[in-house]
Amino acid sequence: MEDSEILAKFCEPASRNLAFNQLVRKYQQKVYWHVRKMVVDHADADDLTQDVFVKVWKNLENFRQDAQLFTWIYRIATNECLSFLQSKRRRFFLPLNDVGAELAAKLEADPAIAGNEIELKLQRAILRLPDKQRLVFNLRYYDEMPYEQMAEVTGTSVGALKASYHHAARKIEEYVTAADNPPPFATDAR
Amino acid sequence: MHTPFRLDEHPRRRPQPLSGPPAGYFEQLPTRVMARVAAPARRPLPLAWLRHAPAYVRTGLASTVLLGTFAASLWLGGTSRHQPTRATTTLDAVPPQQLVDYLTSGETHVDMLDLAELPTRRLRLATQYLQPSPRELTEALDAQPAEEAALL
Repeated sequence: MEDSEILAKFCEPASRNLAFNQLVRKYQQKVYWHVRKMVVDHADADDLTQDVFVKVWKNLENFRQDAQLFTWIYRIATNECLSFLQSKRRRFFLPLNDVGAELAAKLEADPAIAGNEIELKLQRAILRLPDKQRLVFNLRYYDEMPYEQMAEVTGTSVGALKASYHHAARKIEEYVTAADNPPPFATDAR
Repeated sequence: MHTPFRLDEHPRRRPQPLSGPPAGYFEQLPTRVMARVAAPARRPLPLAWLRHAPAYVRTGLASTVLLGTFAASLWLGGTSRHQPTRATTTLDAVPPQQLVDYLTSGETHVDMLDLAELPTRRLRLATQYLQPSPRELTEALDAQPAEEAALL
């Protein structure tokens, strides 16, 4: 179902629930993974994903359609993630590294990462980034989101986003290199 | 010599780097979300208008309620003391002589001394019965054991 159709049906009380159900089914995976990459833990991602869609339900009537529907949803999801991580730090009075260590521990327990040393180092490096920079990195590197759309999602200029991504990539490369990773091709002995 | 890590040379894990959610998660998520958004709205509090009332109105109302509650508790507590209990009412219906006869019967083991020591509000019974002449009082006192006389 097209976004315009979803919005039109949502405005009708008789078809509101159906329209919203379609909206959730259409965007749930993107929202979930966007959130999951930030908070790592599935249970947290599940809670936040639901919170995102509840907020969408409450505010969809006020959506002015000056941006794409998914961009707007992504923006809500982004704000929910950042608020969650911020409140986590504030609630436990943990310095930045401790929350990062908690996320890293969850990451290392993930079966998709365990056993893959390079991937584990890469994910650890990504986790070390500041939250907003990590968000930009994920959107560009994994979701391949255009910078223009990313600007609408984050409320940041395209230039700042490009600079942020470039710095993030550099930090990650330096971290993984410094972590003494083996060469990609172990047979190239020098 | 270590080969520097290059992000663009690293095989990007698609679509996602982490393990997937539990089986059936995305089939159930819409239902769970709908259940949350379809929860009945909370009914507004009956006194919700108070939230918008000026501070002096709220303060005055709270003070009035507190004082009224205090006054009511005092009034109710006072009236209950003056109201006779059912037992008292029933006992008041019994003629005093009948009471004395019962109390001084052998079964209750109550004698004259006990009746003389009745509380003030039973004074009517005691004074009705204890109206001795001076000679009777002297004889009663002389009959008391020496140690008890010291208490008089």
